[in-house]
Amino acid sequence: MKITRRGLLATAALAAPALLLARTGFAASGTLKAAIVMPGAITDHGWSQSGYEAMGVVTEKLGIETAYSEKVAQPDHVEVLSDYARRGFTHVIGHGGEFQDAIDRVAARFTDTRFIVTNGLHAADNVSTADFYFSQPAYVLGFLAGRLSKSGKVGLIQAQKFKFTNDTLAGFEAGFKIARPDGAVFATWTGDWDDVAKGKEAALNQIAQGADIIWPTMDSATQGALQAVREKGVKAFGLYYDAITKWPDIVLQSSILDVKSLIVALLTTARDEGLTGKNYRYDFNNPDVVRLGTFASEIPADTAAEVATLMSRIRSGQLVIEPA
Amino acid sequence: MSFLPDISLIAVLLASGVRLATPIGFAALGGVLAERSGVYNVGLEGMMLWGAFGAAAGTYLTGSPVAGLVAGVLLGAVAGLLLALLCVGLAVNQLVAGIAINLLCAGLTAFLARALFGLAGGGTAVSGFASLPVPYLSGLPLIGTALFNQDPLVYMLPVLVAVVTICLYRTQAGLRLRAAGESPRAADSAGVNVTAVRYVSLALSGAFAAAGGCHLVLCQVYIFSEGMSAGKGFIALAAIILGRWHPVGAVVAALFFGLCDALQLQLQFSNPLVPYQIFLILPFAASLVALVWFNKGARQPAATGMVFDREAR
Repeated sequence: MKITRRGLLATAALAAPALLLARTGFAASGTLKAAIVMPGAITDHGWSQSGYEAMGVVTEKLGIETAYSEKVAQPDHVEVLSDYARRGFTHVIGHGGEFQDAIDRVAARFTDTRFIVTNGLHAADNVSTADFYFSQPAYVLGFLAGRLSKSGKVGLIQAQKFKFTNDTLAGFEAGFKIARPDGAVFATWTGDWDDVAKGKEAALNQIAQGADIIWPTMDSATQGALQAVREKGVKAFGLYYDAITKWPDIVLQSSILDVKSLIVALLTTARDEGLTGKNYRYDFNNPDVVRLGTFASEIPADTAAEVATLMSRIRSGQLVIEPA
Repeated sequence: MSFLPDISLIAVLLASGVRLATPIGFAALGGVLAERSGVYNVGLEGMMLWGAFGAAAGTYLTGSPVAGLVAGVLLGAVAGLLLALLCVGLAVNQLVAGIAINLLCAGLTAFLARALFGLAGGGTAVSGFASLPVPYLSGLPLIGTALFNQDPLVYMLPVLVAVVTICLYRTQAGLRLRAAGESPRAADSAGVNVTAVRYVSLALSGAFAAAGGCHLVLCQVYIFSEGMSAGKGFIALAAIILGRWHPVGAVVAALFFGLCDALQLQLQFSNPLVPYQIFLILPFAASLVALVWFNKGARQPAATGMVFDREAR
């Protein structure tokens, strides 16, 4: 076949709208390809591991193609996110609020890709955010701590100060004060999510000051803190997963922020009806995503009942826990 | 509210400081040996992590923390030899080689830990050393728990410091090691095999740093987690300078950093109104001030960082 300039132009003119159509049809037609970019290791027993496992579930249940990048440091955010967009992933997740700035920049360049920031700060046309109503479980655990603490002193250990940790502390303190107006909540920031030795020392310090219930909320460093709790024979709360399964002798209850279910829920929505540029907030009304774990057997039944009442008041909207 | 915590908490503070300082102290001791022999060991961080992995893997596979300690220390020595191969044998820039070791160890330990413990079983608890109170002495007020109710590795550190100090300053081998770092050409003329001395001291250096990592796993948290050395190897590099390349000085400097870190954790909640970041930078600010303050007259071994080539003129 002889290719003429006119013929080429005509073909291009015909093909262009078809290509555009194909492009817009791409996201809606269900051929989702999702990638997640994570700050930590996929073995951190926390945030990043949940993100990684979610992608496994998504691949299996929803049958969509997934990919992940772990341990992506702040300077590499833009490049890694852009790379996935360039490779034709329709949904690119920045796993954590720290991805917001990078996603704002990348989303402006790749307008056909849907970006998602977990714990994000603001949405845009092609940027959705998703977070937990952190204050709710924190409030309930605070209340439970107030009921169960013998010394009237409990400790919360966090790595860094930002919206999630501020909300958690505020909720925890508010709930605690209801149950124990005269008690005290110690807050420690270690400045490191993964330094297990420091996590342990932080917990030992709080215990030495009289705290008898410790709630560590870091990533790998949490394991160090729980080790300290075990050695000193006090009690702890878990975070993200039902920690009583791994630490049955010390864990009283856990705030399950099911990062895995959050991502699965979000991508299911994406497949079924598509995502819009808004914040998807999950609270106690989405028990798949936000719930409490198993009560330790030593917790009196009436205390557990009180907690249940508290939770139903929160669910019905009767009791609103304001974020910090 | 008083600025300092309760007096009764000072004993807790000291004990916490000693525990936090021990891994740094081991690494700093290793670093002193390396730098005294004429090689910067920037790879302390990686070797520590490597030792931590070795300790966890060894204990996991054999069930005995002693075997874990041996495995960790041996792996550390191997990493030290690798550094020696790179910068003594192949004359690679010492800083670059050290950084390469750090990156290698970070990646390799993560990979091997996943292979060994698996994703779900990661953070598998291993057995370790319990603390070993010294009769009578552990009951002393203030310093009793800090110095005499600790784990075996904490007791081992001062013993090793004494041994290293005596060897460095009172034996012929020590003289050779220091000569290799001060004036390798003169040492070579006097019949010292500078290359061999540096290989041995780097192997020891790696072994000491790894022992610091073993302390993290076997005496503190009883699990291995990725990146658990968390910058302690780099703090050790500062401790070496602050301690003026002397084993005792370096370990005392490590103790100082450990105490600052422990103090930071306590000051935070006795002063909830002060931003916590102020306390977090305390160890680093203190080390900067101390470095400037004590820097007068401090001099590193003259040949540290330089490649020694027998054939060169």
